[in-house]
Amino acid sequence: MDSLNSSEPPVFADIKDAARQLNGWARRTPLLENSILNEQLGFRLIVKPECLQRTGSFKFRGAFNKISRIPEDMRGNGVVAFSSGNHAQGVAAAATLMGMKSTIIMPKDAPKAKIDNTRALGGTVVLYDRLNENREEIGERMQKEQGAILVKPYDEPLIIAGQGTVGLEISEQVEEIDAKPDAVFVPAGGGGLISGTALAISETLGCDVYSAEPETYDDHKRSLEAGSRQPVPDGAVSICDALLAPIPGELTFSLNSRLLKGGLSVSDEEVLRAMKTAMLSLKIVVEPGGAVALASALTQKIDLKGKTVVCVCSGGNADPEMLSRALSM
Amino acid sequence: MTDYSDIQKARELLNGQVLRTPTIPSPGLSKLTGAEVYLKLENQQVTGSFKVRGSYVRMAALTDDERKAGVIAASAGNHAQGVGYHAERLGIPAAIYMPANTPFTKVARTEAFGAQVILEGETVAESRILAQQAADDAGKVFIHPYDDPHVIAGQGTATMEMLEDAPDLDAIIVPIGGGGLASGCCIAAAAHNPDIEVVGAQADAYPSMHQAFKGEAPHGKGATIADGIAVKEPGELTTPILRAHMNDVTVVREGDIERAVQIMVDVQRLIVEGSGAVPLAALMAEPARFKGRKVGLMISGGNIDSRLLSSVLMRGLIRDGRLAKLRISLIDMPGALAAVAGIIGGKGGNIVDVMHQRMFRDVPVKEAEVDIAIESLNADHVRDIIRALEAEGFGTRLLSDVSLG
Repeated sequence: MDSLNSSEPPVFADIKDAARQLNGWARRTPLLENSILNEQLGFRLIVKPECLQRTGSFKFRGAFNKISRIPEDMRGNGVVAFSSGNHAQGVAAAATLMGMKSTIIMPKDAPKAKIDNTRALGGTVVLYDRLNENREEIGERMQKEQGAILVKPYDEPLIIAGQGTVGLEISEQVEEIDAKPDAVFVPAGGGGLISGTALAISETLGCDVYSAEPETYDDHKRSLEAGSRQPVPDGAVSICDALLAPIPGELTFSLNSRLLKGGLSVSDEEVLRAMKTAMLSLKIVVEPGGAVALASALTQKIDLKGKTVVCVCSGGNADPEMLSRALSM
Repeated sequence: MTDYSDIQKARELLNGQVLRTPTIPSPGLSKLTGAEVYLKLENQQVTGSFKVRGSYVRMAALTDDERKAGVIAASAGNHAQGVGYHAERLGIPAAIYMPANTPFTKVARTEAFGAQVILEGETVAESRILAQQAADDAGKVFIHPYDDPHVIAGQGTATMEMLEDAPDLDAIIVPIGGGGLASGCCIAAAAHNPDIEVVGAQADAYPSMHQAFKGEAPHGKGATIADGIAVKEPGELTTPILRAHMNDVTVVREGDIERAVQIMVDVQRLIVEGSGAVPLAALMAEPARFKGRKVGLMISGGNIDSRLLSSVLMRGLIRDGRLAKLRISLIDMPGALAAVAGIIGGKGGNIVDVMHQRMFRDVPVKEAEVDIAIESLNADHVRDIIRALEAEGFGTRLLSDVSLG
């Protein structure tokens, strides 16, 4: 990919290129499994814990892949991003590492941990009211007034390619543990992580890839069924704060509609139970949005008997209140 | 005495029998402590702790007759699971002694491996004496949790792996209960690089090895969140090994261990049991000592009860001033509560619970008291809210134990 602002969907070579760019900066998160849990489940459950990634979610990968390519002479005005939390932290961390300023526009009701962490990573946080203010307008004003470069959360080739390194790593790591996955489950919000991951998997393992979503925000599932981008109905609510994009991305859906086998969806209660299993059996902290793929596997939204499934646990930035709620399930 | 070649042999033996767990760098904990922190994730090990290493090596050394006769062990925790797990896979009958008051979930977890659980004795130490007796009487092998050369060699493989993944560590901090993991750690570290400083860490409720080093009689007692290392008597085999190799056993406070469990969740997104968090507590207690050095923390296990974990998290919120409970006095008249809510909301506090007291408490009839739980940002924020309430004439007391400095 030559241009910083290309609008063509990425290809597999872009993911390999992103992997080189991220080498030494992003963490190669391990694959985890629990053989006793596997016996109870009757299938092999492998988890890719992006909660252990730098900034606690996969978002650092895409953000760094874009920001580290900004030429020296364009770095002075900094970057700007909109985010409810994880993209914010990824962008703030990547910008700080590159010696750049970052302004992050976050909703007032984002989890406190995410707001605090974004500030701690060097980001300047601007809070807005989700109901009464338009974040795009705030962002455009920043771009115009400050000359800051916008880092989109998902609908951008460099971002998709960066997130796709998750899929590339999975394809390499399953060989190390002698596993042959039948399916890969990936959380979907705007669709950046899953489109990149599906692209990498389609060129390597070739197994089925499913999107996982909250049942109230199942826009990928419905869009895949309809063959076109379907929005989330007005007024939908979910505890999965990381997955509240209103409609699948254009660029991401052009990949997902071609590469995904289907869409799965889970209830809030199934998400909380999956978070509890993650804590007690896999010993990792997974946030609600990060747990939807795991929840889909644990409740076998498709038949997994005797099979091997890889679930991406995309982030771990949950407030202690939410973790306690999950533990009480 | 166990030497490095025993650990190397154990390593070959364990190949395919237990997990080779990852060692990961922790930029978050590095930033927090000033050291360059690496974590050996034995909380990811099969059964959730390192114990499966030693128990396998011991059981692999059994003769055919010993296997047929079955084994006996005493533990309510990780060692029970370590023995139970391999006994089932190797087809060896196992009887595990646990204290009579052991929670049902721990019994069930061990029984799930097919092991027979025998609830006898008041404490783990008593259960162990009974188990040893029963083993002697029946001619069965007693699988000791730490005082056994096979077990020590097996536990040493965890450190061997950590040093393969992070070869240039300057120091390793390892929890000590009976000393099996720590002994193996010292031997493996010395063979890799004699300059590595191995620091043992104990909970202050059970500082048995620390006391042995100082020539004091052991006097551990009481409850600790680090129940995996609540051992009263240091091991007979392990103590001389640690004396020979380890320059220091440090003791950490109970509150610091709880805090370390919370920080592992908040910063590292990992679930770690009390004993497994002791090395982080030790590191945080002496930041100057480890500043700028590459320090490996042996995260020995992750088996923590869900209710205990939940209360650690909630107590953490209270300690950090992110959750506070206020008792506010107000005149019993319409609108008073609304005014209080307005002041708290105006300061950015979020009310999560209200308990209105006026019928049943010893307060003047024209006054009322209300207990309000709020979500707040930090201790300063709580202080700010209390000041604002008092300025408007509402006497306010903090009920939770936030540290207001």
